[in-house]
Amino acid sequence: MIGAFDGNEFFLDPSRCIGCQACVQACAECGTHRGVPMIHLEYVHRATGVQTAPVVCMHCEDPTCARVCPADAIKQDDHGIVHSAAKPRCVACSNCVIACPFGVPKMKVELDLMMKCDMCYDRTSVGKKPMCATVCPSGALYYGPSEYIEKFRREQPVNEFQFGRQTVRTKVNMMTSPELKALPFEVLDFLPWEGKDFDPFELSRAGAPDAAAAAVFDKTP
Amino acid sequence: MATLTLPEEKYIELYGPTPAHTPAGGWNNGEPDKLVKTHCCFCGVQCGIQLKVKDNKVIGFEPWEEFPVNQGKLCPKGVKRYMQNDHPDRLLSPLIRNESGFREAGWYEALHKTANAIKDIQAKYGKDAFAFLGGASMTNEKAYLNGKFARIALGTANIDYNGRLCMVSAGAANRMAFGVDRAANPWSDIPLAKVIILTGTNLAECFPILTDYVWRARDAGAKIIVIDPRITPIGRTADLFLPVRPGRDSALANGILHVMIERGWTDEKFIAEHTTDFDKVRQLVKRYTPEVTEKITGIPAKSIIAAAEMWGTAETSMLLHARGIEHHTKGTENVLTYINLVLATGRIGRPGCGYGTITGQGNGQGGREHGQRCNQLPGGRDISKPEHREFIADFWGIPEPELPKVGLTACEIIDAIERGEIKGLLSISFNPLVSIPDSERTRKALEKLEFFACIDFFLSETARYADVVLAGSLQEEDEGTVTTGEGRCVRLRNSVSPPENARVDWKIICELAELLGKEKFFKYKNAGEIFTELTAASKGGPIDYSGMTYEKIEQNMGIFWPCPAPDHPGTPRLFEGGKFHHPDGRAKFHAYEYRPPAEDVDAEFPLFFTSGRVVSQYLSGTQTRRIGGLVDQYPEPLCEMHPLLAERLGIKDRDIVRVVTRRGEITVPAQVVKSIRPDTVFIPYHWPGKKAANLVTNRALDPISKIPEFKVCACRVEKVSDAPKLAAAGQPIPLKSK
Amino acid sequence: MRLPNRAALIAGTALTLATVAGIAVGSSGMRHFDPALTGYAIGALMAAFALGYRFTVWAQRPPSRMYFKRGFELMFRRAAAVAATPSSPSVAVAPSPRAESGDEASPKRTATGASQPLFPHGAGTLGYALARNFVAQEFIRRRGGYRWIMHLCLSGGCTLAFAITFPLVFGWIHFSSFPDNAEMYHVAVFGMNVDSFSVHSFKAFIMFNLLNISAILVLIGLVMAGWRRFTDPGERATQSFYEDIVPLLLILAVTATGLALTVSYKFLAGRGHGLWAIVHMVSVVALLLYIPFGKLFHMFQRTCSLCVSRYKKVGEAGARAHCRRCGEDFASQMHVDDLKTVLDELGFDYRFEGAKGEVHYQDICPACRRGLLALNQGRTIGR
Ligand code: HEM
Ligand code: SF4
Ligand code: SF4
Ligand code: SF4
Repeated sequence: MIGAFDGNEFFLDPSRCIGCQACVQACAECGTHRGVPMIHLEYVHRATGVQTAPVVCMHCEDPTCARVCPADAIKQDDHGIVHSAAKPRCVACSNCVIACPFGVPKMKVELDLMMKCDMCYDRTSVGKKPMCATVCPSGALYYGPSEYIEKFRREQPVNEFQFGRQTVRTKVNMMTSPELKALPFEVLDFLPWEGKDFDPFELSRAGAPDAAAAAVFDKTP
Repeated sequence: MATLTLPEEKYIELYGPTPAHTPAGGWNNGEPDKLVKTHCCFCGVQCGIQLKVKDNKVIGFEPWEEFPVNQGKLCPKGVKRYMQNDHPDRLLSPLIRNESGFREAGWYEALHKTANAIKDIQAKYGKDAFAFLGGASMTNEKAYLNGKFARIALGTANIDYNGRLCMVSAGAANRMAFGVDRAANPWSDIPLAKVIILTGTNLAECFPILTDYVWRARDAGAKIIVIDPRITPIGRTADLFLPVRPGRDSALANGILHVMIERGWTDEKFIAEHTTDFDKVRQLVKRYTPEVTEKITGIPAKSIIAAAEMWGTAETSMLLHARGIEHHTKGTENVLTYINLVLATGRIGRPGCGYGTITGQGNGQGGREHGQRCNQLPGGRDISKPEHREFIADFWGIPEPELPKVGLTACEIIDAIERGEIKGLLSISFNPLVSIPDSERTRKALEKLEFFACIDFFLSETARYADVVLAGSLQEEDEGTVTTGEGRCVRLRNSVSPPENARVDWKIICELAELLGKEKFFKYKNAGEIFTELTAASKGGPIDYSGMTYEKIEQNMGIFWPCPAPDHPGTPRLFEGGKFHHPDGRAKFHAYEYRPPAEDVDAEFPLFFTSGRVVSQYLSGTQTRRIGGLVDQYPEPLCEMHPLLAERLGIKDRDIVRVVTRRGEITVPAQVVKSIRPDTVFIPYHWPGKKAANLVTNRALDPISKIPEFKVCACRVEKVSDAPKLAAAGQPIPLKSK
Repeated sequence: MRLPNRAALIAGTALTLATVAGIAVGSSGMRHFDPALTGYAIGALMAAFALGYRFTVWAQRPPSRMYFKRGFELMFRRAAAVAATPSSPSVAVAPSPRAESGDEASPKRTATGASQPLFPHGAGTLGYALARNFVAQEFIRRRGGYRWIMHLCLSGGCTLAFAITFPLVFGWIHFSSFPDNAEMYHVAVFGMNVDSFSVHSFKAFIMFNLLNISAILVLIGLVMAGWRRFTDPGERATQSFYEDIVPLLLILAVTATGLALTVSYKFLAGRGHGLWAIVHMVSVVALLLYIPFGKLFHMFQRTCSLCVSRYKKVGEAGARAHCRRCGEDFASQMHVDDLKTVLDELGFDYRFEGAKGEVHYQDICPACRRGLLALNQGRTIGR
């Protein structure tokens, strides 16, 4: 029998994501929550472009979700996997949903239960790869030895994030520029409308590619 | 007269599409009896997948990581493909049309009725009055069998297939330029390229698995150039994005070549030694200066120069294209002008250097090789070439004069039905009502048929018009081979048997042949025997499979043709050493002046209309509109338009809009996005009836390949204020788009 | 390293003493206390201490404490009244573009709400939550019919068994035969006669067999739970022996040995009774001591869900938090503010500051946080 994880790690690279939802469809095939996908995949802002954000649980070393849970329902195991809420305990308060810095836990209102990504524990604990990272066609989600990533990827992994004053360390790696040791988070630059009238086409980073800007076209056909 | 006998809702209630949301046996359906290593059926990549089978039902899947092409990767269609099995809409026995729609019938009755109708029509109107339409999602075995059945059992010239709507222009161009029709390189050459042009391919949504190949190239330092009127997911982070005005592709390729020649970025040695006719091209592109090209294509001159520089100076390169440049009345010309870019650099036939068209259909490659096209015989042979006719007539054991001549292509067959020249039709895995442009005319044609029989596993929108529906087999219910977009012939294994009274497709065809008195030509005990015959028939032809066996294919995880001998390993990369397949061994340049599309914008219809796919749906949706998870992902067609255009028309996101062309109109919710040219609107084509994009597209054909012009026509867009009912259709798609 | 927790020690001791007092008073000064049950009583006292201790430790954690605190407060406040509770160090929330409706009427409601400070406005919510979540356990039904039946059997059976055995052990209930008629029994509760019946009556049958009935219920529940633990792929992958199997084994031990006692005196003329009695007692004490520390503690922990019910109800009616990035309503303002407090207490600090101002990450909705992950990553690599 192959052991759990077996030297493999999870690497996330949203810049490769093509928004195909293979991960979402495959997540519903995971044995710990079959039929209910846990991974998040959303357009960052469809009006301005096709950028998408795949988000799995980052499995924080000191998980905010577990710390804010009033019912001790979220447990981290010896592998560092932060599990879905314990079914008898979760009181469906949504503390974890609102506090997780990555926006991961899902409140299943119909079940009065928080559920989240557990890195396909049914698979990874017996040496298989997680569903999402096996099927992901773009490599935005990759699960395997870090040597592969170091050798073949232009971007390099970090597992530290700086949210303002808060440093968060995680089990899951994020691909970023090789110069960085931690991924710096910025929020203020991404609040473009604050103090102005709300413009749906502004709600993204400046420079999201605009087909009109790259094209020559007749302004009044 | 085959008009519908029931209202549409009734057909939907009885035969679907019903989006199935749970697998056979429910989500908790236990441990499988076996895992079957086979392939996804939903595009030309043919990803390897293991189907979980229990009690003769497919209950789930497990990635197949050892298969080298996708290494376990799948797109959403592949993930949920298993849900087409054990589906509530599955046809479980033959159907015969009556006043109340259809009644279930036995095989004896259904087959006899079909055979008798064929005989009657052919006796009355001649052999060619009965046509056969095949599909490019079926196995090589079936493609071969369809061709043989039409030529020997039906004796009709009019056999064609839905690949005619797919990439025949690329196929024609490939033959004209290289003397052979196949992607020149295996996908594994993509990551080795230092620059990649992706033109007219929404690669990330239509061939998602290839994304990783492209990104791997980028990891190794490659530059990516994407040419498309829309910023698709693969285009979003491209190094250079050229938002071409629809229908201007050949001008762009000529413009890029102009700059390359001017700056000396061509490989004159290669051109001199391995190609012909470059002088004509050199002459032609002189007038495509960046400024002229900018005017035609709507791409800034500086971007054109930048593309020429990236492409012209690269060490290694790949050029890949798909329907975006192929679905045009000058589809063949578009492809040939792009091939000029490849030949001019001499970067082909080496690792990391080459070219390919990415086939869209499950067996888009194999389906066009074994003789189910009106102008083709097995082994890629030409039906008009005497020596090819002689070989096949001999091989089949019929006199050469009995072998029909060139027939009509798919769209022409529909046209001929409309004109009343073709009276009867047998089709398999083809849904022309959704997939052929100008759907209203297709519907009228279907209504005119005196007899129409379909072989299918679900009742497609087209099959509603049939007199007899023969319940056939899903991909996993049969076995055989398919040939992927890179020319790799792979093995499909039988996972389950057809349910209840449904039958395996090839057996149905053989039984019909028997009733038509030709049983001695169709004595097969299994699909393997058809394959053996197919490979023998291909021996010595342009497309040679004669060295392949099932065992060899399985052992090698697929074999690339040509494979002319049992000890031949197959040919992953074509044209090595600059050897092309024309008799002179050279590749041929083609000089084509840009010409506008069949219908260009004008004052009345000022906007370009274009159509294409979404990642969650496959072709006419007969299968994928029945899989709940895929339906939820993108439930209804939306009309993409740029905010600048929307503002001018007073349209806001999710407003209901009407898109009108000279052929018809379609009413759908708007999706206002900056990712499309402001002079173009886009609607995906997978839906039937009032939601069919093909209500408005143009059935003008490419004179060379007879591919219709799906990708450009002229339209007008207006806001619909009186559509409260349609507002429901505007439900936001699950991907949060706030 | 956990330091001895004073409040918890006090609570544990208090609960133990209360139980002792209960036994003393309830058994009419030990007159009705059955000395044969001393072992059970001692076990119960130890469990009482552990329970009091554990519950207090848990309830002191910042998030749990916040809910209990709010639970009590909100009991006495009207739903809409909390709209403008100045209970937290609220950062000024930017005007949100989509907050067209909803909170304009709230100040008025605050005024009316505050006028009756001690009226238990929350009683309705509380009663409803008790009936729905504790008695009917309707939310488990929504998770699955099988799991619902399973749990009703388990919790119903166990609760019934506890409801009988504790009063018996503590001497709160006492049976005695009529002096003149050995076939008639008195039932005394807290020393007072409340009922009498004949041993041949149906009532007697029920009375004497209630424990067996509860045992059968529990057994059904156990078999169902065991089957699920054995076959459900998700449970099989994530369950742990100590957390998920031990409780089932303990309950099984108690039930099986209890039934063995019945079998032994009913059908085997009391053979083996003495041994079974000891084994049963040991298993019961083990279960009691396990409850505060393992999975079964949920039966007490779930009291928090009562607070949450009220909290949600009030939060829905009150001021809403709108994401500072997209303007979407994503939680109640009270919830967001309380979480900021809780995070501070836990030592997390998700405040951003820059030239353009300050943002607490709690003011950004989860969906935008996911988007910001992609945006921030994209920015570091120019995509
Ligand atoms: C009345 C208050 C109680 C509530 C609200 C409650 C709630 C729950 C919930 C929500 C679960 C998870 C069920 C699932 O999602 O499958 C659970 C499991 C469980 N409960 Fe309770 N419970 C209560 C009392 C009890 C009692 C008194 C017992 C008996 C000692 C008990 C024993 C169990 C056991 C053994 C499980 C685990 C079953 C398994 O193996 O999955 N519960 N409880
Ligand atoms: S990413 Fe969120 S859900 Fe996952 S461990 Fe960290 S805080 Fe918890
Ligand atoms: S929702 Fe459940 S798991 Fe999340 S914090 Fe609340 S009780 Fe804990
Ligand atoms: S549709 Fe194509 S890319 Fe998607 S899984 Fe199937 S074969 Fe692979």
